This record gives sequence, C-alpha cells and structure tokens, in this order.
Amino acid sequence: MPPSTGTVELHGVSRWYGNVVAVNDVSMTLGPGVTGLLGPNGAGKTTLLQMMAGFLPPSRGELTVAGRPSWRNPEIYRVLGLVADREAVPGFLTAWQFVLASARLHELPDPERATERALGQMELHDAWHRRLGTYSKGMRQRARVAAALVHQPTVLLLDEPFNGMDPRQRLHMMDLLHRTADAGAIVLFSSHILEEVEQVSGTVQVMVAGRLATSGDYRSIRRLMTHRPHVFAIRSSDDRRLAVALMAEPAVAGVDIGQSGLTVRAGDYGTFARTLPRIVQRERIRVRQVTPSDESLESVFAYLVAQ
Amino acid sequence: MASDDAAVGAGVIHDIGYQRYAGPRLGRRHVVTALYLHSLRTAFGLGRSAAAKIFPGIVVGVAFAAAVVLVAVRSQAGGVIPYTYLQFIDGLGIPLIVFLAVIAPELVSRDLRSRVLPLYFSRPLRRSDYALAKLAATVSAVWLLLAGPLLLIFLGGAFSRSGGASAVWREFTDFLGGLGYAAMTAVVLGAFAVPLASLASRRAIAAVVIVVGFVATAPVIGVVNAIGGATAQQLSPLVNPATLLTGLEAWIYRDEKLDVGRYGPLYLLVAVALVTACGAALIARYRKVTV
Amino acid sequence: MNATIASITARALLGRRRFLLLLPLPLLLVGLAWLAHGLDPDPSAWGEPVVAGLGFAVVLPMIALVVGTGVLGAEIDDGTIVHVLATPVARRDIVLAKLAVAAGVTTAVTATAMFLTGVIVGSARFGLGLAVACVVCSIAYSAVFLALSLLTRRPVLLGLLYVLIWEGLLGNLLAGSRVLSIQQYAVAIAAEIAPSPVLHARLSLPLALAMSAAFAVGGTLLAIDRLRSFRLAGETS
Repeated sequence: MPPSTGTVELHGVSRWYGNVVAVNDVSMTLGPGVTGLLGPNGAGKTTLLQMMAGFLPPSRGELTVAGRPSWRNPEIYRVLGLVADREAVPGFLTAWQFVLASARLHELPDPERATERALGQMELHDAWHRRLGTYSKGMRQRARVAAALVHQPTVLLLDEPFNGMDPRQRLHMMDLLHRTADAGAIVLFSSHILEEVEQVSGTVQVMVAGRLATSGDYRSIRRLMTHRPHVFAIRSSDDRRLAVALMAEPAVAGVDIGQSGLTVRAGDYGTFARTLPRIVQRERIRVRQVTPSDESLESVFAYLVAQ
Repeated sequence: MASDDAAVGAGVIHDIGYQRYAGPRLGRRHVVTALYLHSLRTAFGLGRSAAAKIFPGIVVGVAFAAAVVLVAVRSQAGGVIPYTYLQFIDGLGIPLIVFLAVIAPELVSRDLRSRVLPLYFSRPLRRSDYALAKLAATVSAVWLLLAGPLLLIFLGGAFSRSGGASAVWREFTDFLGGLGYAAMTAVVLGAFAVPLASLASRRAIAAVVIVVGFVATAPVIGVVNAIGGATAQQLSPLVNPATLLTGLEAWIYRDEKLDVGRYGPLYLLVAVALVTACGAALIARYRKVTV
Repeated sequence: MNATIASITARALLGRRRFLLLLPLPLLLVGLAWLAHGLDPDPSAWGEPVVAGLGFAVVLPMIALVVGTGVLGAEIDDGTIVHVLATPVARRDIVLAKLAVAAGVTTAVTATAMFLTGVIVGSARFGLGLAVACVVCSIAYSAVFLALSLLTRRPVLLGLLYVLIWEGLLGNLLAGSRVLSIQQYAVAIAAEIAPSPVLHARLSLPLALAMSAAFAVGGTLLAIDRLRSFRLAGETS
C-alpha cells in the first residue's frame, strides 16, 4: 500500500438547496487513519461524503482531496474509493464479475489478482461465483466494499457501511478498515449509531443539522457525555426516604418528588450508578424501576452542539 | 438499568394512553369513494408537487388551446361550423393517448412499484373495488379533460350564433351529444389503457406499452383499407380502440365520415365486449397480483 | 469507448423484461408486410401504411426510445451508475460505450426488420435503403434519448411526447416542424437510396443527413457534459 499522498481538506464548505442548508460551514482536515462521521439522520453526512467523493459541488468553500478538487475530476478516482449509500448492485452479475469489472475500469495492470485479493479481504471467496441478486444484504454490502477496495485507494469513503450488518460482520469490517488505515490510507465512514463508532481508534467528527458539532477521539466525547447531567425516573417502596438519602450525595444535582415517583438529576453518571445500589441497600428500600430519561441520540447530539 | 425487583420478571407494558378507536367507522362505500376521488386528483397532479402537474397540464393546455382556436374560428366564420363537437374529440386523438400514457401509470403502476397494495387490501376494500375505482378515476379524468373544452366551445358557440333561442337550443343539443361521445371515448379508451398499465410496475414501461397498444394497430387498418374490399373496409376499424370509437360515432350520430354499412350494431357490441373484457382482465390481474 | 462498460450494458439490456416486450413490434411489421403481399402483390396501396406508418413512425422510434433510455436511465434510477462513475474512466468513453450499445441494439432489431419488409414490399435495394435509414437514425435517436436520460428524471415520457406529438401530430400539420423530426430524415434517406412510390420524402437528402449528424453529435456532447456534472441522489432524496 503506497503511503498516503496527502490529506482531505475542507475549508468552510457549505451546501444549500434553495432555502435548505444541508452542510453549514464545515472545516476539517482528514489524515491517515480511521475517522468516523457521526450524526443523526438528516445531519448532512451523506451530502458531505458526496461532496468529498466528487458527486456534488460545494455551494461555497474549498474541498480538496490529495491537493486537487474532486468535482469534475475523474482522475481522483485513481486514489479515491467510494461505497455509496444506495444499496443497489447489478443483480445479474456474479460477485467476481462485478469486482473484476471495477478492477478493469480502474485500469489495474492485473485485474484478476486484484479481484481475488479484494474478494478474499471481504470473505467472499466462497460465494464469488454466485449472482449478486442471490446475495443477502450484508453480502451485497461486502461486495460493494470489495469493488471500492480493489484498486487499493488511499482515500476510502463509506456511507453508512454497517447498515444491515450483524455484529460479527461489523467487527470484521471495522477490523478491515483499521488495517487499511494502518497501511497509510485515509478512511472515513459515516454512521448514526453510537455503538458502531465505539471501536474507532481515530477521530470522530460529529455533525448535527449540517454543522460540525465536535471533533475528537471517542474517549473525549465519552468524557464530555459523562459530564452531562443525566435524568432518571425512579419508583421505589419509599420515595421520600430515598429522596432524602439521595440529596446527601454529591453526585446528585437535584431530586423531584412526583406522583409517579422520583425524578433524579445526576451530575456524574458513573458515580451515581455506583451510589444508588449502596444507598438502597443501606436504607433497605426496594426499588421497583429505574429508567434513564433523556437518552435519545438527538438530545446527546444537541447537548454536544451546545458545548 | 433494569429493575431489580425479581418478582416481576418479565417486562412492563407502559400505559402511555394508547386507545383503540371505538367510534363509528365508515363502510366500504366510503373507502371506494375516497380512493376514487384521490385517484382522480392524482391524475391531474392536484395535491402533489409541481412536477406532477406538468404532463397532465400540457395535455389540458393543448385541449383548451384547440378549443379556443375553434371558438375563434367559429366566431369569425359566422354561422359556419368548421368542426363539430364530435370532430373536435376525434381530432384530440393523439393528445388523449398521451394523457392516458401519463395518468394510467401514475394511478396503477406506482402502487405496484412501491408495494403499497397490502395497505389497500388490508382495509374493507375488495380487490375488485380497487381495480374498478382506479378504472373509474381514469375514465372520469378523460371525460373531464374533454368536457372542459367542450363547454368552452358551447359557450363560445352559443354567444356567437345568430338565430336566437332555437339556435342556442340546437347548440345545446349538439353539446350534449358531444358530452355523450366524450363519455363513450373515455370509457373505451380508459378501459383499454388501465389493464395495460397494470402489467408494468415501472411507469415508463407502462407508458410505452399503452402507446404501442394504441398506435400499433392503426397501420394495420391502413393496410386492410388499401387491400380489402368494401366489407373489409367497413370492419377494419374494429381492431383499434380509437377507430372503433369513430365507427361507433358514425353509426350513432349518423355521421357520414366513416362508412360502416350495416355493421353499426356490431361496433356497439365490440365496444361493450372490449370494455367488459378489459374490466374483467383488470380485476383478474389484481386478484392474482401478489403484493 | 470502453469494452467493459459496453458488455455490462449489453447484458443488462438484453436480460431485462422490458426488452422482450418490444420484440412483437418488428415481428408485427414483417408479418403484416408478408400478409399484405400475399393478398395483394402490388404494394402501391398498402406499402405506405406499412413502411412509413408502422415502420418509420412506430417501430423505429419506439424501439430506439426503450433501448436508448434503458442503457443509462435504469442505472441512474437504481443508483448503480455510481459503480461506473467512481472510476477514472473518461466520461466521454462511458457515453460512447452506452451509445454504441444503444445504437447497435436498435439498429440490429430495426434494420433487420425493415430490410425484410423492404424486400417483401419491393426489392433488395429497397430493403437496403430502409436498413441504411434505420442505421443512421438509430444513432441519432439513441444520442437524443441518452441525453434525455441525463437531463430529466422522466426521459421516457418526454421521448414519447417528442415522438407522438412533435413528430407525429405536428409533423403532419406544420411543415416547419419536419426539419426537426428524425422520422423525416429516415424517410428522406431511404427515398434517396431507393426511390419508391411508397415513400414520400419531405426533406432533401443533404438536409436530412446534416440534421441527423447534428442530433447525433449534439446529443452525445450534451450527454458527456451532463455526465461530467452528475449528482448522485441519495436514498432520502
């Protein structure tokens, strides 16, 4: 794998359709390694990826891949591979023919070798002679990734690649992405599921409503999230006594006593999680239900945007 | 965090206020009427994006433009009628085919493509109801397309005709005759187009199938007319729905344009048989289609 | 012109059901000519409806429409075009490959049918004239419909409007519109190679050839330019 020939750079990139702003003033620099682009649906991840892949011009701003703009530049695809979000594949081709065609279109010197290697990487060597129309969703996904990898691109963009993959396939794909990145490639994948991004050892870019909300590695984002006050709904056998005991704890920011139970605001999730059982055991209170409220992804993202 | 009350074991169903609807429910008739009206609106692109109004709009525009031209010509020419209502409808043959090629796939092929038929059939709506409602909507759409310009011609003619009340009355009866022929046209052409459209789930293919269905048999008639004798020439228009209508018109309205000899009733029979067969084919298609 | 793209396009086209729906048309053409010839060997009466009314007015445009919009339109619709576009192949080569397949398939089907019809109606020379006209106008039609596939999301409907209303209706009513009607070029070219009472050429040969070339080249260039600026539509749009 050749060393990375550069970076993917965005400066003030925006894209709007009439009155709707899909991507709003995004600047980032992507280097070798795996980057996760995280955000709820409609945040603009696909639009951003399409702009990077040369399928959409930015309305404003500069976007370069390895020093050159990707719009109207077919040569960029010698170093760039894209796995788009549309799932469709030509069903009448076998996986071998599909990836081989990709290898040929990339003008590789030895298309058959490259095809074999790419199919092996995606664990499709048992089924490569079957038509894509007979494949399951996960296998089709892998075939598409194989076709995007066949020319060993130094920039690999994947739009929601884990859609429809079971956990084992997801781990395998993540492992593959890391290996590709370790050899010097820039890998960017998008997702709206936090768990998928957990194993990313590189940076995570979070997009909300077209804006880049936060960048950093996953651990720092996690830490940010632990400092966010969490809200729990608790039903117990003696709410008032529990409320009194909880108010004494430093991890608890506030307690409301209501008809259906207590609403507890905890400043530190981890500490509270350890404190509650201790208190309950000491006070001999029976807890019937503990429900974390306010756990939606959107509220998490909204909180991150507000930082 | 899970509840640590071991006695409960299984999960909890939260009462968030979901209630079953216990009020009055409208019956099958209302469902069919709603589907019919919705399809009729869809045909003209009402209630949809602007792009959906373009193609029907073009045809509506063409029809009204032709009507305006006819009104202008009639008012210039005084009492002379260059085109009767019937001839006007015949002249709109190709725009009608285009109109059907646009709306029949919209009404029928789209539902097949997006696989929403289970949503329809899990209501008190029989499959035959669905098919007939769609057919009725298509027929109504074509009739409305023709009735509007015809009304315009009537108004223009009534105001420009000299001769007082009796002339206006004659104009009115001609207009009613035109509306009747428009209804016949709508029924025959619509019944022919909708089953063809239901064969394809992509709108583009359905449109081509409809066009080919209408247009491919026309040259056959030309050949038969050139070769055959008088009998063949009187019978040849039967193979094409558009010429079938012209023949029917010639017989019913005593038009001299097309000579159908003694075969007038045969034309009516064939027309009725065609409409019935197409309706049955459509219902059979929807009985068979697996969603 | 890229052989890989051409072969995949050809396989996709010939395997689809929509292609099979079209085969009845050329069969109808040849069958009708044969039947008519059997009933009346003199084609002066029935020749024109068959050759011009069915052949050039229906068979050639309809097949060109379905094939021409199918080579690119289907891939754009389901999104598989990205697999071709995300490669360094020049957009010009992609368009030329698709054009070659579209024109080739259309020509193969229509020229064969029209040649056979021409032989039945008149002579081998007449058949040859019809076939050559099909070849030239297949290229022109294919280029136009290829460009339409990239210009609009409903290329088939627009193509139908062009064939039915512009070439059909207006072509019969307004003499001026015939200059822009590919059907008329076909008739003119065939009439020049093999003059016959069956064909009524309304345009001169130089004009027909020039306009056919203009449509072919113009459509191709337009398609190449649009493909360079192609924007992918996502699942949600």
